[in-house]
Amino acid sequence: MRVEKNRFYEDLSLILRRAQVVYFVVGGLFLLLLFYFWKVQILDHGKYWALSEANRTRENVITAPRGLITDRNDVILADNAGSFKASFIRENCQDYDRSVKEISRLLEIEETDLRARIAKYESFPLFKPIVVKDNLDLRQVSRIESKKLEFPELVVETDPRRFYPFSALAAHVIGYMQELSPEEIKSEAFRGRNLGDLVGRTGVEKEYDPFLVGVDGKLTEVVDSVGRSRGEVGRVDPSPGQNIRLTLDFDLQQKATQLLEGKEGAIVVMDPRNGEVLALASFPTYDPNKFITRFSPEEWMDLINRADHPLENRSIRGLYSPGSIFKLTVALGGLDSGVITEQTTFYCGGSARFYGRPFACWFAGGHGVQDLPGAIQHSCNVFFYNTGRMLGVERIAQYAKILGLGDKTGIDLPGEKEGLVPTEEWSRSVRKTEWYPGETISVSIGQGPLVVTPLQVAIETALIATRGKRVTPHLLESPAQVKKKEKGISDSPSGEIRPDIFEKVIKGMWRSVNENGTGHFAMVEGFDVCGKTGSTQVIGREKAEKLGRHIKTHSWFTGFAPRDNPQVVVTILVEFGGMGGATAAPLAKELFDLYKKKYD
Amino acid sequence: MIDRRHLENIDWFLIILLVSISLLGVLIIYSSSHYLPGKYFMRQLLFMGVGLAVLFIFLAVDYKVLVTYSFYFYGFMGLVLIGMLLFNQFTAKESWIKFKYFQVQPSELAKIAIILVLAQMFSEYKRNYVSLSAVWASSGLTAVLFILVALQPDLGTAVSFLPLLLGALTLAGLRRRALVWIFILSILIGLAGWNFYLKDYQKKRLTTVVFPGKDPRGAGYQILQSRIAIGSGGFLGKGYKKGTQSQLRFLPARHTDFVFSVVGEEFGFLGAAAILSLYFLLIARLFSSAAKSRDRTGVYIIFMVGLMFSFQVLVNVAMVVGLFPIVGIPLPLLSYGGSSLLTNFLAVSLVLNVKMRRFVNI
Repeated sequence: MRVEKNRFYEDLSLILRRAQVVYFVVGGLFLLLLFYFWKVQILDHGKYWALSEANRTRENVITAPRGLITDRNDVILADNAGSFKASFIRENCQDYDRSVKEISRLLEIEETDLRARIAKYESFPLFKPIVVKDNLDLRQVSRIESKKLEFPELVVETDPRRFYPFSALAAHVIGYMQELSPEEIKSEAFRGRNLGDLVGRTGVEKEYDPFLVGVDGKLTEVVDSVGRSRGEVGRVDPSPGQNIRLTLDFDLQQKATQLLEGKEGAIVVMDPRNGEVLALASFPTYDPNKFITRFSPEEWMDLINRADHPLENRSIRGLYSPGSIFKLTVALGGLDSGVITEQTTFYCGGSARFYGRPFACWFAGGHGVQDLPGAIQHSCNVFFYNTGRMLGVERIAQYAKILGLGDKTGIDLPGEKEGLVPTEEWSRSVRKTEWYPGETISVSIGQGPLVVTPLQVAIETALIATRGKRVTPHLLESPAQVKKKEKGISDSPSGEIRPDIFEKVIKGMWRSVNENGTGHFAMVEGFDVCGKTGSTQVIGREKAEKLGRHIKTHSWFTGFAPRDNPQVVVTILVEFGGMGGATAAPLAKELFDLYKKKYD
Repeated sequence: MIDRRHLENIDWFLIILLVSISLLGVLIIYSSSHYLPGKYFMRQLLFMGVGLAVLFIFLAVDYKVLVTYSFYFYGFMGLVLIGMLLFNQFTAKESWIKFKYFQVQPSELAKIAIILVLAQMFSEYKRNYVSLSAVWASSGLTAVLFILVALQPDLGTAVSFLPLLLGALTLAGLRRRALVWIFILSILIGLAGWNFYLKDYQKKRLTTVVFPGKDPRGAGYQILQSRIAIGSGGFLGKGYKKGTQSQLRFLPARHTDFVFSVVGEEFGFLGAAAILSLYFLLIARLFSSAAKSRDRTGVYIIFMVGLMFSFQVLVNVAMVVGLFPIVGIPLPLLSYGGSSLLTNFLAVSLVLNVKMRRFVNI
């Protein structure tokens, strides 16, 4: 722009100069803008490019189906069923409060519940979908889909859901699933899991969770500003979790569950040769299908609060006095340490005095003179009072440990309990009282502070059956399929107790079942069952008599068959079942029967 | 009134610039709205035709005559705006008058009224510095329309009146003291406006210029999406009709106020710089035309038109890239909108008018 003076026209040079200044200012501002565009478009390009990509693409998680759990013959115990879940994406909300209000109405859930649910995941990024309802029925799915444009913050996704076709069967072995807590999702242990993912909380579902859970897939699609899909741009298919085959035998498991129906107790059936658990039942039980949801239904609260603790797996977590079952331990200890021999006899007159106090035999009439096989056959208390007294509590504990009591068995289930094998040291350091010699007498017949789990008893029985070959019980058919358990399975005899000593005890066990002993209700024609019964006093006999009431005892039976070349161990505990021979032994017979029919 | 000499002196380069930028606008409007019903690009082409016709028709009338009757035009605009406020049941949106086939935004045309009226006021003003009474008078005239438009409420258009007034006063000569007063006054008005006039959403728009990340789904959404569009364009852009931000509708007001974000996304820095250069060429041509004016009136008219373009381009482009609050000022010639396009063509027509009559008739 030239400022020129012209004599024909009026002098405009002053205002033209002023205009020129403004023009330069405008030019300068244009340059500044251009520089800023350079910064945004060239220097910060990467950042905005990523943001625009994130804008236009949406990643949907395709949940990987969980591995199936089957019995040894591929009967599916834990399956997957299709289901739908609705998730809330906070980032897509235009008006949070209104959205929560309307979505709670749409999904038919309480607004306060919905708010609490969202608040639970407050600390997660806004784009993470929060599952707000699952197990949607088709009516609900179509209702939500029809309002898709109104609620870009609400998405429906398929959700392969755990389904247990036999509901309560083996529920304690398989376990149940629950939602991961916000803290768990953040932890290292659950890296890669998503909000609302379910995880095994007990049983095999928990123990083998890392193998059962698959790797989720990912669907990347282009979406517009209101979240409508405009086509798929990438897909990573989910890889399903590993299937797991258990050692359980469906028929035996079903039989065991039926036998316990209406009772409280536990049954273990296992193969003594390799530790394979064929049946592991606990009653009362529950239907794990009822709470495969991310939300705590009433059923769940009921189960937790029930007095008979249906969620507890009694076979590995129930602690019971072994009662007369423990006489096997005392017998083996007595023989091995040499305090008794097969020829040793004691006279049973219905009771005996030790340390100035009478200890009764269960048979008030007395068994007369008893040798070892006879004492096992008739479960004579007096014989074992004497043997126990001679062994002393320390050696009893030592043999109990050798036979697998007082320690976890190492079964591949979480939450197993150790039980308690008392020693003088334990008495001093834990109980803070001196050990009384009279207590040794009680422990000799499996009473006193001594407690065991039914599985421990089964393991001891297996050890006896195999004449000292130690096995670790396991539910996974081949541990190599997933992982080697630390303990492993040792195929060699433990060598701690000589095989011929086992033979002497087994003779008594055989007679107990086959020669009209306490276990004769467990007899199976042609299967050579060897066993031992037990009836544990829940409270002292004197006390019970004082109460003037008939308090039933816990009933035990443990045994194996056949006598030579043993194939199966059955251990049964029925709480408050009365005499072991009358209640538990007949149940064992049914299981031996079934096993024989199926495998022998 | 018009003779061959005038025709020879028509600045065809300016017209070519005007038409080319507008045609580029049609292209970009097509890209950002072809998937919407309404055929916006066709309508914009139609507006261009009308605009060109009006441009040439107004060339026939000497700008001196237009300036002489400017007060009538000003008065008419004032009455229309008052009428709109009183009978806003006849209006579609607050700032529009709806006719059967089209709607008019009178506040856009009010800019022309202000330019003419201010040019008339200062046409015989030959002192070196502007007097206080002239400041009051010109400010008063502008303020009336400003308030009427701001009440519609169309703050964006109202605000674009201010550079016209300020420009006229600058030409007339503002002393430093006056500048200080204007500064103080504008702060006071700003404070009063913040507390009594601005709606919450407008306040949010102002605060989000400073903190765009604070409310990414609310007030910050438009700025953020627009910046993402521009920034993701990079150097060469994503290609015509290939901008994901605009095609997938993340970008708000893609064919109107945020049309430049589409340029940034689809044509990159190169395209944005090219369009800005075209604008600067247009503005430079306008400013340089001032020296071709035969009288003071012409200088004022050309200067104010140049300033009008400069202000709107700078504010709109700064706005879409997040340097300025979202005030609803369209990008001249590029943004879709008939009233705005017509006003800009009229403004250029005034400049052409002054330029072609630069020689005193002998």
